[in-house]
Amino acid sequence: MKKLFVCIFQLCVCQVYAQYDFFSPQEAFAIEVSLDNTSLKRLPVYRNAISSLIVSGDYIIGGTSADEGLAPFVFTASLSKKEMQDMVDMDKIIPGQRSIRTGFSKGENNIFYAGTLPGTADKKENAGGHIIAVTVDAGGTPVVKDLGIPVAGEGVFSLIIDTKKNMLYGITWPTGIFFSYSIATKKVITYRDIVPTAKELQLFSEFVLGPDDYLCKALAIAKNGLVLGSAPVNRMFAFNPAAEKFEFFKKELPEVWGRRSLGQIESWAIATNGKLFAGNAGDGQLLEVDPVNRSIKNIGKPIMMPRLRGLAFDYNGKLFGIAGALPGYAHLFSYDPAKEGFKDYGNPQFKMVAPGIEQGIDWRGFQLGTIATSEDGKYIILGEDEALSQLMVFPADAAKD
Amino acid sequence: MTEKFYSPHLYVHRFLWITLLWMAVFNAGAQTAVTEKNIRFIEYHGFPDGNSAWDDIGYNPVDNTVYVGITDHRDKVALYIYHPAENSVKLKGFVSDLGKLRPFQWQAKIHSKFVAGPRGEMYFGTDGGESREEYLMDHPKGYAGGFIMKWDPAENRMTNLGMGMQYESIKDIDVDMTTGNVYAISYPQVHFLIYNPHLNLLKDYGRLGSGHVPRMMFTDKWGNCYYVDWRQRLVKYEKSQDRLIFDSNSLPAFEGTPGEHIITGITAFAKDEKKGVIYLVTYGAKVLAFYPQQNGIGRVEDLGGVIDVPGKEKWNYYVPNLNVGNNGKLYYIIGGHGIYAKKDQSLFVEFDPASKVPKVLFEYPSTVFVEATGCDTKDKDGNMYFAGKRNVPRSAEKRGNLAELGDQPTVPFLVKFNPDKTVY
Repeated sequence: MKKLFVCIFQLCVCQVYAQYDFFSPQEAFAIEVSLDNTSLKRLPVYRNAISSLIVSGDYIIGGTSADEGLAPFVFTASLSKKEMQDMVDMDKIIPGQRSIRTGFSKGENNIFYAGTLPGTADKKENAGGHIIAVTVDAGGTPVVKDLGIPVAGEGVFSLIIDTKKNMLYGITWPTGIFFSYSIATKKVITYRDIVPTAKELQLFSEFVLGPDDYLCKALAIAKNGLVLGSAPVNRMFAFNPAAEKFEFFKKELPEVWGRRSLGQIESWAIATNGKLFAGNAGDGQLLEVDPVNRSIKNIGKPIMMPRLRGLAFDYNGKLFGIAGALPGYAHLFSYDPAKEGFKDYGNPQFKMVAPGIEQGIDWRGFQLGTIATSEDGKYIILGEDEALSQLMVFPADAAKD
Repeated sequence: MTEKFYSPHLYVHRFLWITLLWMAVFNAGAQTAVTEKNIRFIEYHGFPDGNSAWDDIGYNPVDNTVYVGITDHRDKVALYIYHPAENSVKLKGFVSDLGKLRPFQWQAKIHSKFVAGPRGEMYFGTDGGESREEYLMDHPKGYAGGFIMKWDPAENRMTNLGMGMQYESIKDIDVDMTTGNVYAISYPQVHFLIYNPHLNLLKDYGRLGSGHVPRMMFTDKWGNCYYVDWRQRLVKYEKSQDRLIFDSNSLPAFEGTPGEHIITGITAFAKDEKKGVIYLVTYGAKVLAFYPQQNGIGRVEDLGGVIDVPGKEKWNYYVPNLNVGNNGKLYYIIGGHGIYAKKDQSLFVEFDPASKVPKVLFEYPSTVFVEATGCDTKDKDGNMYFAGKRNVPRSAEKRGNLAELGDQPTVPFLVKFNPDKTVY
């Protein structure tokens, strides 16, 4: 009895001192994909912020963003080998690009689509962001095909595929022009319905907000075929491709009082039952969007800080996401409406093993930019957004209630 | 068959050589032994709640003074200045007052070095350093962020040069003596920062580590700055190109050194400017000689381990301090943060870079000396300084303890050491 009391007391003491444990499942791992000045296959410094992410079979496909004056990469990493596979320097495919931040949308024949942002805003006809199509060859090397500039002088800020129609839909940067792109015919149609008005631009100017802050960062295709996204100021739009019409939801995006001008959708995830979930960057709310009734339900905020940079469902229908960003810290979270609601895993910390660090080092994810699931939904993959960014992988089952 | 040739001339030569050799051996053996006269512990007064110092010790060559920050690990950090010529320690005030901080900008310690600038101004960075920062993080009850501060000894004035990164501590700083630019490393995100005080320009060069933050950055005589990445590779801020360059190789480490020791990098450095060498100690208990060069990353020589106690892993010693004497030898104290060469004992070691042999000069129980911090702090007379701590029994006055240093409270003191003369 005395021993039991001592054990309970020690447990209490330990809990008082240990304010958190890292989410570090034994089966989780980090893949070193960035390392400067090395003979290993790695992405160099300042060109590796992982802003696009998807998984095809055993291969994680990443698209990066670079610092000013530098070019991004498309790279692959092997899930089974837990290592970097190969990479393509975008400067050798399409010079003058800085970021791939809109991928990836999976099309037919395992072709993955994304858009690029140019290094500098240039209104010339032959300048601007491109649409790219990425495949992975038998050796695991990414192959990038340039599909051209959809809107001259503009970058591609967001992009989504409607696989049924074989169409891409996107929003340009910095103007905010909505466009459609036929993969079959390469025909582009532009729409200015969600371009901010002069009055709206004045409002954003008052709050010192730029296009990165108010343009829709992510689009979704609803089961009923509508293209969904946010539009200035704080609105949700639905584009009907058949009628080529925009409709705006009657109710605005849920806001934290006074922060209406910050409303901006930056992530989506669609459940197997067709339910749509969106992340609002403005204050980090998770939203459930009903494209039939044109309604939005505010589920709440997983953490105190703004931003909700990514969402992904696992094979069991559990929703994982990334909340928070600089100047704060990103948190991995999950949402289960039936049981625990939100669960915060904080900064994940996984073991990273690679040649030269065979003993493994603890890799803590402070700034997470992207999230994806493996094709079977059993692994969750996180991409960092840093000067030297790595991949972090964990089995979805390790995040138990 | 070789003919033996005897010559009186040869005998004289032999005699002279043998005599010289004996003189050399005798002199080496007769080097004044280091005794308690060569070391002195100096107490701080006026801040009874102050329980420790970290790497926050530094030397100002302009007025031959030693600076130390003493903290209560809550919200008070005192600035002390030791004048060797006057043999006095003066409490100059508290950072929160001198630096014009509001309560929501509380600082729990100075972890960085004190570094002299081009005109004798002393720079340092501030740190959250306790649970409110570690766990509450970006919450309003958490930590606002660390500041870069400057102390002007001529005017007895502290200037707040602004925050590094929001919510982040500043773990270490150094100064480019030619430009006055301040280098800094943030905690916990390990961002390498450069602050230009003339333009009030702070530039973030991004994250260089992850699970644990290497505590030490250092500069060479050209003003280039060095740090390590997660593989314990040297990272150099190449001034001439305004960019970071990375060594292709990791610093030497003992086989079996765990990842958490690799990722923590360098724990201490000391410069022997006459020899053009910067000595380093790693968290894997290696002593290294680094020969910097103006462009590119210089050569690294492995000098061996800090000590080798039979039955103990070679990498498992903690040395968060280092000084180099005028005699060219290295001096450091082993022990602290739960890692001791001998149980509850600190060892004061002399290491000869030429012979690569460590020699224990003093052994202290933790109630006398539990841990020392501080790098490259030597006055004009060759006296070297460390920021020391000792364990004391818990009492009404001494309640706080550092989990890293055992269950007992700690009391800080200044260590003054000179192997060549009696220390006063």
